Amino acid sequence: MRRLEASKWVFALAIATLLAAFACGGEDAAKRAVAGKFAIALNWKPEPEFGGLFEAQRSDAFTKRGIELEITGGPGAPVVQMVEAGKVEFGIAAADEVMLARDRGTDIVAVFATYQTNPQGIMVHASRGLAALPDLFAAGGTLAVEPGVAFTKFFEKRFDLAKMKIVPYGFSIAPFLNDKEMAQQVFVTAEPIAARRQGADPQVFLIAASGFNPYAAVVITTGARARGEAKRVADFVAALREGWRGYLDDPSQANAQMGALNKEMDGETFRLGAEAQQPLIEDAFTKEHGIGAMSLARWTELGEQLRELGLIDKPAAPQQCFVDVDAPSGTPPAPR
Amino acid sequence: MNRRLIESVLPPAATFVLTTAAAEFGIRAAGISPLLLPTPSAVARAALQHSSTLLPALAATAQSVVVGLSLSIAVGLLVAIALSTSRWVERAFYPYAIFFQIVPIVAIAPLLVIWFGYGMRAVVAAAFIVSVFPVIANSLAGLLSVDPALRDLFRLYGASRTATLWKLSLPWALPNVLTGLRIAAGLAVIGAIVGEFVGGGGLGVVVLEAMRQQRTDLVFAAVLHAAALGLALFAAVNATSHFALRRWQNQEKDA
Amino acid sequence: MAASELQTKARGLAVRVRDLRRVFRSAGEADVVAVDGVDLAIAAGAFVALLGPSGCGKSTLLRMIAGLDAPDAGTIHFGDGGAAPKNALAYVFQDAHLLPWRNVLDNVALPLELQGRAAGERRDAAERVIAQVGLTDALLRHPAQLSGGMRMRVSLARALVTEPRLLLLDEPFAALDEITRQDLDDQLRALWAATGMTVLFVTHSIAEAAFLAERAVVLTRRPARIVLEHAIDLPPQREAALRGDARFARETSLLYAALRRGNEAAA
Repeated sequence: MRRLEASKWVFALAIATLLAAFACGGEDAAKRAVAGKFAIALNWKPEPEFGGLFEAQRSDAFTKRGIELEITGGPGAPVVQMVEAGKVEFGIAAADEVMLARDRGTDIVAVFATYQTNPQGIMVHASRGLAALPDLFAAGGTLAVEPGVAFTKFFEKRFDLAKMKIVPYGFSIAPFLNDKEMAQQVFVTAEPIAARRQGADPQVFLIAASGFNPYAAVVITTGARARGEAKRVADFVAALREGWRGYLDDPSQANAQMGALNKEMDGETFRLGAEAQQPLIEDAFTKEHGIGAMSLARWTELGEQLRELGLIDKPAAPQQCFVDVDAPSGTPPAPR
Repeated sequence: MNRRLIESVLPPAATFVLTTAAAEFGIRAAGISPLLLPTPSAVARAALQHSSTLLPALAATAQSVVVGLSLSIAVGLLVAIALSTSRWVERAFYPYAIFFQIVPIVAIAPLLVIWFGYGMRAVVAAAFIVSVFPVIANSLAGLLSVDPALRDLFRLYGASRTATLWKLSLPWALPNVLTGLRIAAGLAVIGAIVGEFVGGGGLGVVVLEAMRQQRTDLVFAAVLHAAALGLALFAAVNATSHFALRRWQNQEKDA
Repeated sequence: MAASELQTKARGLAVRVRDLRRVFRSAGEADVVAVDGVDLAIAAGAFVALLGPSGCGKSTLLRMIAGLDAPDAGTIHFGDGGAAPKNALAYVFQDAHLLPWRNVLDNVALPLELQGRAAGERRDAAERVIAQVGLTDALLRHPAQLSGGMRMRVSLARALVTEPRLLLLDEPFAALDEITRQDLDDQLRALWAATGMTVLFVTHSIAEAAFLAERAVVLTRRPARIVLEHAIDLPPQREAALRGDARFARETSLLYAALRRGNEAAA
């Protein structure tokens, strides 16, 4: 009996330590806020999709607003969890991730949407002579996608995928290069350019063209920060906008900086990537509302789509997912 | 017998209940986000809610594990027998067997997919690679530990090499083989899951999907299913060991 | 005595050892001479005890006779001269060394199994010899369920199952308690008398050598050389009470003196 009691205390101590470790996360943010520092976690390596951020950091966009920015994170970083736990103030995620996180009970909001048109697509070999995505599903073959990514469910609902062998995408184009019957998920700024440079003949079908178009490379933060530090968040977004303007006008300097951090991509690929993504970032909507602006209509549509696909269990509250661009900048969204 | 059963089951069961209760109340009290650390009740709910995904995935992973483990036993034993035939052979080839121990499966899993294609074959290969070395090492140790006096006895009566292997060395090494299997079983599950991350199918993909879809409770539920698989295999090896060795206890060698 | 036992009375194998030498070499260490020029003649059907201090090389000598080790010099001849006839030898170790996964019956039948005899024949022979050592009740038990003395008897039965003409024993009862030891000594002598096989019994116990053997060969400490070959002057019927007899004390003193001499002799 005595041994049982002792082990009870050991386990209680272990649980307490675990909880304390989680609680400590909040202290990091507090320390940084006092010093005027922000940290942002990326969800991939430095590439053109983060060009505006690096340009803002390189120029004085952040510093002249009294913001010192640390860029962290990388492939596989649990960005939503890091923002939730207070390890970082901001993060980069996909719009559907924001809605899913909110559905699970987390108060995460989007403040800036890099891409108006989602840059995800399906890449096939042009030699197959496919005209559109439904042709691929009819033809069959292997399809490599990130397990759990939302558009897979979208396609499964819309089309008959019985002929497709769906396999995990390992973020390498080697299997694609070796197999003419292979199709894979891509980011238009990256894999197709790399494939072309390796001598393949890639053809890309944008997911957005099939009717699934969530915002991408969205900057997220906690709802509490968006409400409680609205001015600082607005400053951050303004600086980011300025950075993107600079990057769209001339990406060369930010590309050089990112290239130094990401040795796997060469300068030419950076240049081609920045070029390919321009129409996806700047369009009629951003010309009117500013780069990175978001609309309630788009979030509402995403919410309906995710509900229909069974990815969220409760009805979405789209107006709570983002800082409303139609309101004057700096106004916090409605409280929960 | 009943009393002994209670004595062996009650302590771990009690610890389980207490830990789960402590975790449940502790996590709730600390207000930890369900995305970071779900409560045990949330994990249980996710397991039930997604059982139509989890159970077939468990079956797929279990199939790969069993095939991979069977290969490990067969190949592992044969290699151990070959290595036990002479010191020269052992010294020449054993270091290469160790290769299986140290190769990081996460790094070579993509290679396995290139060689074996997507699907079960790559997963079985991953489970095999990760679990074969403990079988080789322990079986070899058992084969080399045969009582020298018994070896002499077999020699005295003119027994052939095959007869000595079959009637003496292999039965003698059985406790060691089972020890190796105990270790190999858990490793095979890990190998299979990693293989599935790259090759597709089974609980590995469920974990990746759940992570991508912010369902941390489902991640934990899938992990628990994998753990249960490992535990079931471990228990099976233990039961085999108990049944096969029950007449040996406290005999002339240390089992 | 059964008829079959009467028939086998004169079947012991003679052993002639000439100038036997065995050196153990190991890299980086000095050579160890275990046996240094031993000459020994053992008559057919004799019961000879090899007596010597621990580590003197008597086990090595026995193993060479058994063919488990090869001499570096000298010869060993059996019977009329030449190698040992097939299946004529049996060996009993210091510990029982039974196969833990086999029951008593299968353990005893092992030598016949290795010699390729049929299952029925093996079972009958094994049961017979198990009865001789008085273990019929334990036929289907496993070694883990037997006492030390019982295991030794199984080991003995295993050695006897092939009806050996030469039985070699290396301190077989050393690990047992006194009562069990004396019981087994009695049993061994009875089996020897019944079968007529030659028995070569290695021991470091003077009392055991005197009680069991017709002749005792005393060896020096390592490297083994013969100090004394002595015919034991005691009646052929060795009763337990004999151990307290004055004649017994005389024999043991004699052997003890020889043992002492051999121990003090320079290598």
